[in-house]
Formats: sequence, C-alpha cells, structure tokens
Amino acid sequence: MKIFWVVVLVLVIARIGWRISRLVRKNQPKAQPARPKSNKDLSQHQRNLFTIWVFAKISVKRYFRDRLALFFTVAFPLIFLLVFGSLSKGSGVTFHVGLINQGGSAFSQKFINEINTNKSFNVDKTVTSLATAKDKMSKSEIDATIVLPSDFGAVKDNLPAGQAQIYFDENNVQAAQTISSVVQGQLDGVNTQLIKVKPPFSVKNVSTNTGGLSKLDYTVSGLLGFSIIGLGIFGPVNYFPEMKKQGVLRRLHITPLRVWQFFVSSVISNAIIGLFSIGIMIGVAAALFHFKMVGNYFELATFITLGILCIFGIGLAIGGWARNERQAAPLANVIVFPMMFLSGTFFPRYAMPEWLQHVSAYLPLTPVIDGIRMIATEGKHLTQIGPQLGWVAIWTIIIYAIAFRVFRWE
Amino acid sequence: MSVILEVDNLQKSYEGRKVVKGISFNVARGEIFGILGPNGAGKTTTLEMIETLRPIDGGHARINGVDVAKDAQKIRYMIGVQTQSTAFMDKVKLTELLEQQAAAYGERVNAIELLADVDLSEKADSYVENLSGGQKQRFSIAAALVHQPKVFFLDEPTTGLDPQARHRLWQLIRKVRDQGITVILTTHYMEEAEVLCDRVAIMDEGKIVAMDTPADLVQKLLKKGFKKARKVEQANLEDVFLNLTGKELGR
Repeated sequence: MKIFWVVVLVLVIARIGWRISRLVRKNQPKAQPARPKSNKDLSQHQRNLFTIWVFAKISVKRYFRDRLALFFTVAFPLIFLLVFGSLSKGSGVTFHVGLINQGGSAFSQKFINEINTNKSFNVDKTVTSLATAKDKMSKSEIDATIVLPSDFGAVKDNLPAGQAQIYFDENNVQAAQTISSVVQGQLDGVNTQLIKVKPPFSVKNVSTNTGGLSKLDYTVSGLLGFSIIGLGIFGPVNYFPEMKKQGVLRRLHITPLRVWQFFVSSVISNAIIGLFSIGIMIGVAAALFHFKMVGNYFELATFITLGILCIFGIGLAIGGWARNERQAAPLANVIVFPMMFLSGTFFPRYAMPEWLQHVSAYLPLTPVIDGIRMIATEGKHLTQIGPQLGWVAIWTIIIYAIAFRVFRWE
Repeated sequence: MSVILEVDNLQKSYEGRKVVKGISFNVARGEIFGILGPNGAGKTTTLEMIETLRPIDGGHARINGVDVAKDAQKIRYMIGVQTQSTAFMDKVKLTELLEQQAAAYGERVNAIELLADVDLSEKADSYVENLSGGQKQRFSIAAALVHQPKVFFLDEPTTGLDPQARHRLWQLIRKVRDQGITVILTTHYMEEAEVLCDRVAIMDEGKIVAMDTPADLVQKLLKKGFKKARKVEQANLEDVFLNLTGKELGR
C-alpha cells in the first residue's frame, strides 16, 4: 500500500514540475534554434533509419498529448485490474454457518469458541433458533447450521460425549459435507486428546506455496494481455481508417516513404507506449494486490516488446486493409473477442474444458500471456520459454506477411 | 524554355468507363500551368496519375525525362503535392509536422524558417486543427515543398477560401514559381486562372478542348465575334470588398 502512495506522490510532483518548467520556458525569450544539421552526408541506409526515428518520435509525443488515448490505454485496463484484482484477492474458502448451542456444558461452550475462531467458518450470530436457521438456509444466506444438542458434552463413563448435528438444505449438499468433515476433524482432535491414543493413519496438509501461482498472477498476466490487445489492435483499427479518411496516409503515399518504414516506426512507438502502460499496471498490481514480480525486468520488457510486435501486427493488418471504420470494426471484433476470451485475458485457460485448451493454445495471444506470466511470476528466463517465443515468432511472421500484402494507403 | 512535364496520350478508365481519353500536353520549366474544367472532367484523375497515386492505363507521363509509370520512387522525390488542407495528424505541432514530412524524404529541415516563408512563424507551436482555412492552405504548401521539389501540384487550392486568403495564396504561389519551381494547378475559378496562370488547358469529358495563354484564349473567342451581353464594369463587388477589408492584398 505504501508503494502505491509513493507512486502517486511521484506522479503528482512530476506533473507540477512539468507545469512549472512550461511556465518558465514561456516567460523566457525564445532562443534562436540552432540550425539543424543536414542529412546530405548520410547514406541511404542511415536516411531510412532517420525517417523511422522521426516518425516514431512524433507519434509517441502525439500519444501523450491525446487524453482520450491515454484513458483507453492506461486508465481502462487499470479499471479492469482493480475489479478483477479485488475479485481474486480473497482466495481462501469460508462457509457461512449458523450455530445453535442447546446444551450448557463447559465442553460445548469451549467447542463453540473453537468454531467461532476457525477461519473456515463465518458464524451468523443472528441465528438463534432452528426456525430462523431453516429460513436462512432455504435462501442460501447460510450454508449450513451446526447444532449442539442439550446432552452435548455430558459426561458418560468418565468421558464427555455427544453428537453435533449439521442441518443443511438440499440446495447445499456439498457445502454441508465439507462443513461436516471440518467439524468431524475438530472432534477427532478432541477424541485423541481424551483417549490418548495416537491414530496410526492421518493426513497432513503441506503447503507448496513457495513461488507458486495464485489466481491473481493469472489475472495480472491476462490483463497485461488485454492491455496489449487494446493498444495493439483497437488502437490502429480506430485511427488508421480515420487517417485514411482525412487523407493523412494519402499525403504520406505521395512521398517516397516505404510501407516497411511506416510499419517499423509504428511498431516502435506502439512498443514504447505499451511498455509505459504495462509498467504502470505492474506497479499498481504490486502496490495494491501484492503482485510479486519475481522475474528479470529486462527479460520481461524484451518479451512484452515481442508480444506487442506480434499483436500490433493484427491491428496493422486490419487497420491497413480497411478503407473505413465500417470495414475495420466488425473484422476486429470477430478476431479480437474470441481471442480475448480463449487466450486467458479474463479467465485463466486452465478453467476451460480440455478440448478448448487445446484449441486456444494455438491463438497468437496465448503464448504472449503465458510467457509474461512465466517470466513475471515464475521467474523463468527467456531461454526457458522456448515454445512461447517460438509461437510468437511464427505468428509474427504470418501476421506481418498478411499485413504487408493487404495494406492500402487510401 | 525546356520542358519539365510531358504528357502523351494519357488514358484512364474506371469499370470500363473512360475518364481520361488520351490527353497530351507539355509544361515548361518555371511555368504556372492551370487545368480548368467542370466537375467530373477528369482533372483530378489526370493529376493523380502524374503524381504516381493511380496506375496509368495508357500513354505516358514524364517528369524531367523520368517515366512516371516506370520509376515512381524517383518521381516522388521530384514532385510536391498539396493535398487536402486537413490531411495532417491532429495534436502534432506545425514544426513537428514539417520535420516529419521532410523525414519521409530522409531530409532534416529548419521548420521555423519554412514556416516564416509562409507567414506562419507565430503558429510554430500550434496544431493544424487550430489554424484558419487560409493558414491551413499556406501550411499545406510549406509541407509540400519541404524537399525542394521540381514540380508542384495543387488541386483546387483556393476552394472555400475568402477573397483575402485567396489573394494571399496567389502571391505565395507566384513566390514559389519565382524560386524556380514549376506549378501545375486545377481550379474552378476563371478569375484565378486568368490572373495566376501563364497557360491553361480546358478539359471537358476527359479531353483537352483548348490550351493557350488566358489572354490568347479570350482573343480567339472575340475573333469569332463573341460579345458579352452585359457591359463590363470597371470594378466589381469583389474589388469593393477587398478595398474595404484588405486593400494591401489587392493584385
């Protein structure tokens, strides 16, 4: 939580500093700009790179001036992160139960204290009679009711004995069974203390939570994938037809600018913007939801850049092909929505039926999301995620082969 | 005068319908050449073929001896084209747009100087969307000339401008010509052709129906015995308007 406020503070300070520097610059007499160097001495190769650099630089500047674009690429995925992050936060299982103590023995009182402090149970204190309990169970407000009868804990043959009763509604059989076994487990503990016999067989729970994955880890890497899609596909699908309509691309078509130069500069600016937006998301996930980034930041950035390269190609292909929004939007939806749901952006893929997992494994977004998760939360290195890198590479080649073929300036 | 643009029997059809029906003309270096004609006469299509934007169906166009159909890339370095005035990205400063336009040719330019040439120095940090119609047109010309082209094409440059902005643009076009750049433009306005163009070609239904200097075209018509129905006034309403609102911009 602390880190979050530090991030906010830094952003606020940066913003104020920027304002002040603007004011200072405005009040100073403008220095005569130095005469720019000429490109006459550059080789054709260097000129090509110069072209790409200028185009990428200007489109990044343009992005940071566009509040709407900033909202959709930074704030929008953040909202999803807040929602899904909160949902997957409480991963432990608790049952809502009613508790009715009809007996008055010291033993039953002690047992009730134990149930009240048991983390598996959330005891509804308003339940005092079986009638209200039945009513609440039929509405599924509570999962079951534990009843300690009047003779519970009464001493027979020098030992306290009794039978706890679990009442449940037919709509909640599974929960009732789990609750029974938890209560049974608690009574077993009491039994062994009373009889002083060590049971020969037992079950021991061993936590494997050493760098293992929580649901949140899947959520975060999925949402990073969502952010890549938003920026890489919905972005160009919207603004390419717009640029065609305004004649911006036509103006470029008249110049010697090559399609590949245009593509490369677009990829570079998109990658810079994408890394910026994803950096913010990882920061927020770490600050608010205790997301642990265990991998190497450089390797993560490299892999994300490759992922952006691949997915942005889909946007380039659709936006570059479409003459107008009416062509671009439906095609984008047909391609994006299945991919978004099947590749594990919102739901982890392991929750899908097996046959669907086999199909979705081959979608371009799947290796991107899997790779991000493997580096960020499993701490794997690029050398260990060969299959993911391979699939991203194959898809990149296919996608760009199509994008170059279908691109139109007007 | 040497010829910079040769157009020889140029043809174009869309879906079997002939839009440009084999036109030929030459433009001399340093000329302002106008193409006149009603909508749908094929003016824009003709320009677009010469500008490498549309494939040529028949005939040839050569700029400075280079065949447009054979070496489009080389042609693109030699020509500047003023397209629609809105055809710039929003939220990009004028200086940046000029740098970007020059970068498309692999060149680095002094954007401030180029803006001064078209009287837009004080707008250097503005975005295109905040310029007036006339300012946009002037900026569009600056952008089209960043790479010092040999031939400059303008498609209906003054459509939608008020008279002052139009006169200012004419001055600018003359200034461009004085730098040694050949200018080829299309227009709807006869007045514009008359005061600006050294020679004009009149197109109708995909053909050139007349080509000469504006004065000679008028003389030819008069020789045929043409008389205007109304007596010509020594001044018209436009002169009144300009006299009242922008005297210094008169011709």
